[in-house]
Amino acid sequence: MQKQYILISMVVMRRKIKVLISISICIIVLLAGIGIGSVPISPADIFIILWSKLFGRAIPPKISDITVSLVWKLRLPRVLLAFIVGGALSASGTVMQSVLKNPLASSYTLGVSSGAALGAGIVIIFGITISILGRLTLPIIGLTSGLLTVFLAVTFASKIDKNMENNTIILAGMVFSLFINSILTIVSSMAKGHLERIVFWQMGSFASKDWISVIILACIAGVGIPCVIRFSRELDIMTFGEEQAQAIGVELKKVKWYLLALSAALTGSAVAFSGIIGFVDLITPHVARKLFGSTHRYVVPLSALFGGTFMVAADLVARTVISPSELPVGAVTALIGAPFFGYIYFKRRKKG
Amino acid sequence: MKNRIISIKAIIAVLLVNAMIILSFSACLGPADKISNGSQPNNGLEQNEKSSGAETQKETSSDTQAEELPTKDPQGNDIEIPEKLNSIAAMAPAIVEILVDLGLGDKIVAIELASVGIEGIREDAMVFDMMAPDAEKLISLKPDILFASTISQLGGSEDPFKLLQDVGICVAYIPTSDTIDDIKNDIMFIAKATKTADKGRMIIEKMEKEIERISNIAKTITEKKKVYFEIAAAPTIYSFGKGVFLNEMIELIGAENVFADQTSWMSVAPEVAVAKDPDVILTNVNYIEDPVAEIKSRDGWQDMKAIKNDDVYYIDNMASSLPNQNIIKALWQIAKAVYPDKYGSYEKKD
Repeated sequence: MQKQYILISMVVMRRKIKVLISISICIIVLLAGIGIGSVPISPADIFIILWSKLFGRAIPPKISDITVSLVWKLRLPRVLLAFIVGGALSASGTVMQSVLKNPLASSYTLGVSSGAALGAGIVIIFGITISILGRLTLPIIGLTSGLLTVFLAVTFASKIDKNMENNTIILAGMVFSLFINSILTIVSSMAKGHLERIVFWQMGSFASKDWISVIILACIAGVGIPCVIRFSRELDIMTFGEEQAQAIGVELKKVKWYLLALSAALTGSAVAFSGIIGFVDLITPHVARKLFGSTHRYVVPLSALFGGTFMVAADLVARTVISPSELPVGAVTALIGAPFFGYIYFKRRKKG
Repeated sequence: MKNRIISIKAIIAVLLVNAMIILSFSACLGPADKISNGSQPNNGLEQNEKSSGAETQKETSSDTQAEELPTKDPQGNDIEIPEKLNSIAAMAPAIVEILVDLGLGDKIVAIELASVGIEGIREDAMVFDMMAPDAEKLISLKPDILFASTISQLGGSEDPFKLLQDVGICVAYIPTSDTIDDIKNDIMFIAKATKTADKGRMIIEKMEKEIERISNIAKTITEKKKVYFEIAAAPTIYSFGKGVFLNEMIELIGAENVFADQTSWMSVAPEVAVAKDPDVILTNVNYIEDPVAEIKSRDGWQDMKAIKNDDVYYIDNMASSLPNQNIIKALWQIAKAVYPDKYGSYEKKD
């Protein structure tokens, strides 16, 4: 008995150390994201600026106005947005992989990205601006059309399959996704002048994002991710299999609806503000599971942490590699992520 | 042999059939071009051949009265210019403006979309798309010569005016000039081709006089201001480095381009522009309502000294983007915007 206690407490300790290390890496990456760029800014300066801004103190004269502007108005919102988007996408990816019991499921499986792309495309082509929304017209219409697409896909799945089996959901999502994509292609081909902007939007970018986007997204993710964590037990049970889950007492259909809706909201809002950035939502759940086991109470928040960190790192690379131009973030995530993921995942396979 | 999935005999059969099909289609290839085909559009884009430069100089020194027509276009292709030019097709706005100033406005029968509105052209001139021109319609107008920019080769097909060459119409390609000297050569080429060389020389002399005036003033400037020039607005901001005539113009007036370490046109991340903190910001964007206000409203740009001092100016789009004699207009605008005390105060329109 003693031995078992010791083993368990060792595992828990190791886990706690891993969590601490993860958080430390996250902070380092965040500082690097704010500090590195066309003008390098030391962490000390960053802290001074943050401290002064948050507590209304004056900034010492040795830090130029431009540096303050760079940190507070350009880099900090960008880094925070990248972090939140990465976190939201990863949490959403975890949910999709667990609900659909498919390691290749991503947050985009249900078609939210196609819907958001179509909504954004229409706003760009027709130059729509809703007066109260102003600059937020594009993200909000994108989010709405993304959610609408998922709603249609899941409703369709539930109508044709009373039990809402996973295969049905995935197929319905794919069908809607492809259909909406084709509409987007037709609309884009007729409005060639806007093609560059649409494609650029689709590639994903964190440039020129203001604090309002950060705040809105933080609110959505700040509610969405804890909601997902609340369902950790149900997610754990669902991985045993659908019959087993129902036997234990999980209201499968209802829980599935909630989780898919949460996933769509998280992904939709992330996509609406930053474009379609792939790969993060696919790999970070796997990395988290490999390091911390499959308990969702750990996997969900930690994959969000990893996703956010990774996104900040990818954005850092995207904006420094071909300065003064920028690479689209979506390209960098897959570029770095694929080999990195291959290494982690298959190294384990070789051993075991 | 038996166990192979695809037997060697089958492979040989397929290859023979393909060879027969290809050979039979080769009969459909058109007759060799009437004009010796030195035109290699893709190569021309990279080399930016200016082989006519040497030739035109030789001609200027020998014979001023009956000058020989150029035999090569600025891209380096061999061309045969007809003796009489009564109808001209001009597929770039820069070229249209040059022709108008040479007094040939009423000979232009075909223009393209961006040239609509230029003063001095006929009302009945037909409008085409320079990137995807309707070659058949162009041919029906029977122009004696067609001047085009090599930008047209970047469109859907490599050589959109090939059909015209095939029926014997002279097509002269002019690559976009990167230096002011090349601009002068372009003007001389068009002038010689249209037998208006004297007028061409007058235009160039006028340019050179203005440039000299500005250079003399520029010599008195000791502290060069840093200038940042945008040619496309947010969200995809574009500026340029060395190797384009706009950069040469900035240096001519005695200023420095903040991106002079870069080459050619490139997209700019907003934070890089903010970090450079230029003294003056210029823009020639004309596709949005108020480009100056748009720049001033960008998040995080408000602490730049150019925006604090309200040193953001609009430079006439046509004058600063078309490689022809009208760059002088933009040159003065830029000079006045950057150094009002030296060159006079800036006026938005003159």
